[in-house]
Amino acid sequence: MSKAEKGPESLRKAQSTARMTKYGLAAVFLLGVVLLLVGIHGQKVYDASGFSSESAYQAIYALGDDTASAWEQVLRPSFGNLTEEERSLARGIALTLLTADWEGRRAGGGEDASALAGTDEALTWKLLYASYLVNGPKVSASQRREILSSSAPDEPGYRLMVLHGLLSSDAPLPAGARSVAEGLSGPERQAALAQVLFVASGSTSGDVSDHTALLKKSVRDKGRQVDAFRMIGTGGLSWLQRLVVSYSRTVMLLGVFLMLDAGLLALLMRAEGTWRMDLKWILVLLIADFLLFFQLMPIVYMVVRALFPEGSFTLKTLERLYTESMNLDALKNTLAASFATMLLGTLIAFPLAWLVGRTNLYGKRFFRFLFVVSYMVPPYVGAMAWLRLMNPNVGTVNQWLRALFSLSDARGPLNVYTLPGVIWVLTTFYYPYAFITISRAMEKMDPSLEEASRISGAPPLRTVFRITLPMMTPSLIAGALLVFISAASCYGIPSIVGTPGNVNMVTTRIVEYVGKGQQELNDATGLSVFLMGTALLVLFLSDGLLARRQYITVSGKSVRPVLVDLRKGRLPLTVAVSLFALVVIVLPFLTILATSFKTDIGKSVTDAGNFTLANWSGVFSRSETVSCLTNSLLFASAAATVGLVIACVMSYLLQRTRLRGRNIPAFLITLGSGTPSVVIALGLIMTMRGNFGVNIYNTAWILIIAYLIKYQMMGMRTVVSAMSQIHSSLEECSQVAGASWFTTMRRITGPLIFPSIAAGWFLIFIPSFYELSMTTLLYSSTTKTIGFQLYEYWTFTSEPMSCAMAFGILLIVVLLNFVLNLLTRGEFSI
Amino acid sequence: MAAVKIDHVTKSFGENQVLKEFTDTFRDGEFVTLLGPSGCGKTTMLRMIAGFEKPTSGQIFLDDLQVSGGKTFIPPEKRNIGMVFQSYAVWPHMNVFDNVAYPLTIRKAPKDQIRKSVERVLEIVHLSQYAKRLPSQLSGGQQQRVALARALVAKPGLLLLDEPLSNLDAKLRESMRFEIKDIQVSLGITVVYVTHDQTEAMAMSDRIILINQGTVQQAAPPAEIYNHPVNPFVADFLGKVDFARGNAEKGRLVLEGTGQSVPYAGGRQGKVLVAVRPEKIRLSPSEGPLEGIVESLYYLGDVSDLRVRVGSVSFRVITAPENCQSLRPGSPVHLSFRDMMVFDDDGSLDEALRIRT
Repeated sequence: MSKAEKGPESLRKAQSTARMTKYGLAAVFLLGVVLLLVGIHGQKVYDASGFSSESAYQAIYALGDDTASAWEQVLRPSFGNLTEEERSLARGIALTLLTADWEGRRAGGGEDASALAGTDEALTWKLLYASYLVNGPKVSASQRREILSSSAPDEPGYRLMVLHGLLSSDAPLPAGARSVAEGLSGPERQAALAQVLFVASGSTSGDVSDHTALLKKSVRDKGRQVDAFRMIGTGGLSWLQRLVVSYSRTVMLLGVFLMLDAGLLALLMRAEGTWRMDLKWILVLLIADFLLFFQLMPIVYMVVRALFPEGSFTLKTLERLYTESMNLDALKNTLAASFATMLLGTLIAFPLAWLVGRTNLYGKRFFRFLFVVSYMVPPYVGAMAWLRLMNPNVGTVNQWLRALFSLSDARGPLNVYTLPGVIWVLTTFYYPYAFITISRAMEKMDPSLEEASRISGAPPLRTVFRITLPMMTPSLIAGALLVFISAASCYGIPSIVGTPGNVNMVTTRIVEYVGKGQQELNDATGLSVFLMGTALLVLFLSDGLLARRQYITVSGKSVRPVLVDLRKGRLPLTVAVSLFALVVIVLPFLTILATSFKTDIGKSVTDAGNFTLANWSGVFSRSETVSCLTNSLLFASAAATVGLVIACVMSYLLQRTRLRGRNIPAFLITLGSGTPSVVIALGLIMTMRGNFGVNIYNTAWILIIAYLIKYQMMGMRTVVSAMSQIHSSLEECSQVAGASWFTTMRRITGPLIFPSIAAGWFLIFIPSFYELSMTTLLYSSTTKTIGFQLYEYWTFTSEPMSCAMAFGILLIVVLLNFVLNLLTRGEFSI
Repeated sequence: MAAVKIDHVTKSFGENQVLKEFTDTFRDGEFVTLLGPSGCGKTTMLRMIAGFEKPTSGQIFLDDLQVSGGKTFIPPEKRNIGMVFQSYAVWPHMNVFDNVAYPLTIRKAPKDQIRKSVERVLEIVHLSQYAKRLPSQLSGGQQQRVALARALVAKPGLLLLDEPLSNLDAKLRESMRFEIKDIQVSLGITVVYVTHDQTEAMAMSDRIILINQGTVQQAAPPAEIYNHPVNPFVADFLGKVDFARGNAEKGRLVLEGTGQSVPYAGGRQGKVLVAVRPEKIRLSPSEGPLEGIVESLYYLGDVSDLRVRVGSVSFRVITAPENCQSLRPGSPVHLSFRDMMVFDDDGSLDEALRIRT
């Protein structure tokens, strides 16, 4: 049926659709405004109450990891300093939390409850009473019976007794609590006290080293209860009011985004001249909202925090930061190490790429595979291997060298715990980045360009310098910059290799500061801004370079490119490349493998009695390993799946539509992948704990989102390039044949780009699976991943066991790569 | 003196033999074209002369000096050859002057001599005013000239051209054709030219070597190869042709499927294959040995292009428009062959022709 036949009726329909859409948008916008206002009101009430879970977080950071048994010393005096009003409020909070916790334990099993109460009958009693006070009618019948059957206690006295009971229990207290409590006033002090109580309630069965994590968790779990208590304390509010007040920021956030989206949608629709609601708009907006909130906002927030630490503009933070010698060293080290790694990596990568790509070197395919494979090895595994090899005392290479040159020293000659050591390990891990970039460009280069030089009279080597090298310059620089920024934002290698030798890098300093807490969080921000700035500069440079100097050459039919005959150099060069591969790839892997079978890491694995399978069985029989592995698989799958959905939508929008604003999400995604991992993690830490309406701190979500931000670009790029290969006429043809958009996607486009979709999924999955830098900052006791577990094993438990784990991870990654290869019929592997 | 001598050269890539027993001698100053369908081995032969490939067996001599074969192999950079690639291979990071000067720079010629030579050769290819431009600022045809200038600047004795015109548009291709020929004549240089375009080959060559499936079919000057092809493949590849099976006896040739015959003075007897070019057929309302019916008729301006059905055989006829003004599809017409090529019918025709596609 043609449009003309439908006539005025369809026109009327269209008009009414447009009207409906406009009204709808206006309604959504208004709803946003209302929500924003309600949220602001809630926030005012919240602020007026003088307590906030945010300051509780700040106090947690101030506490740090240090533990000591200074209950009496710290809490008693500080408690004594409180005014009567403050004291009662703090007590109230303590009771609330304690009760809730106790009840939780009770529900979980009587054992825990009695363990908490101990043999002290009085404490049990007190707890029960506290429970009654807070929960009132919600107390179960049996509890009430117990309470009623006891002699009637005087209320304030018992409150005090409960606290006293807590104070005199011998649970450890973070040392930092004292200074915090003394230096704080009013609501902040209350918060600090509350956190001490969190520790008390949370750590009775916990591991001492997990205090910070427990604290964070308890604040997250109980923040709402704190708020609720405060609401009760500050006057009766209805449940709705309480909800609004407790979640004022979430309500505001919702309002802001509704307004933003409605406005944006209206603008876009007007620009397009259509008022038909389309799923595509919603998708774009959802992705844009997601990226704006989880990616851009944290980074902007961090920059703002670095420049406005106290609410007004000051460079004090930066000044303090960059005048401290340790930081200055870290800055210098980072720049020096990244620069050296870049130079060294590129110097290695270019000849390798040329030899493997353009000459008749023996075993080229094998070497190529080897160099590319090392791209997907987790960096910390390499770092571990080089520690074993170049440890100044027991390093295998050092032992060999000492034996070889009959050196009598007990140390050296090589020491990995130095700046050159860090540079070496960084280079061995990051040169593949340059190798892959340069190789790809070499493959794309028209071989006639080199042949033309040969026939003009230039021998092979001169051709390399006069033609190949200049032609490769853009990708050479791009590869070099990639190495630079990867080295600068690497955390795994400097933390394993550099920190023991006091070679600090910006990334390790940031993580250290984050561990320390509040004031230092500002410092971490300052350093992050530096790292972020460097990364952005590099991103900008390489983008500009590539865009401007990408040589496009007309290429004829592809003849078999003439391979440069190395003649006499063929064997020696093959030996040289083999040696390189042996030292840089085979030796480290073998070391990891050998170490994983050792009982005594100081001896050779072939020594009598030194061979054991215990490390392997030990690692993989532990339930913690299994749960970490499950976590890793789960988080990485989630990140990969969400990332891929975004990638597909984005590549559709980029390749198939001229939708306004489609480049904004694409730009944000690119920006995210260029942001150093620790910066992403720090940004999320600072913004995702409820202060902006979303509290995913210490959950799996924060990890998944971090992985997404860092790695989804790889997925997007793969799918976009696949999509660009499919001419839109294939889809148009299907639509002409009568298929709907969805059917076309399912029957035509989907199957054609499936290999790339699979590849994109794995490209996000694999690095997320073994991620360390971000996980170090974002994990909680329930969301540890295999990468972090390995790091913990290496640092705290046993090197052989961590090596077994590292090799296990490596095997999984290789296996995944194999699966990918099968799935895409050999079209893709990393 | 023979510029190039190729002696029983065979080339295989693994199992796949792409060139079989190629033997020929190119005279000094000769314009030789290697012609054939794609994949016939002509580019491989050119690349062996250049030194980018080594023959599997056989020898190649340049100016009577052996450059390939046996243990001898002189690399391309020492052969003093000029070459133009299909993709031009103009280096994008050098300007026109530097591109062209490259062969002389490599030979470490004095600066002023380089300048003089480059200016002269740029003059020849009409690019003098573009010397400072980058290749990305040039059109395809101009890049092509840069490549040509670069190949000529060192005054090589031999110029190799690998389908140099195939990336140009039709008009430019035609004018470049004559330009290249003019340059070759004025410089007196030996040229080996590879193409799959028969018109190019006809227009430029002193001699065409037609190759199919790695085997030389015929090597002869354009007129010779056009008018006297040695086999049906050659006849079909160069120019347009229609085939008919026939039987030769007693001065007549009976065309199969028509029941009609044409006079035949040649010496073949029995089953034959007749090949007729469309421009060699005369149309007449009443005169001529063959009677047919016009199937289709297209007026193309300079000529008219007809199909005439004679029995079950159809012939294409190209003739001046005034010869067929009165004809319409369906009109009866008489045909006579001004010239025809007769081959023994060994039954291999279909196979030979299939190769073209």
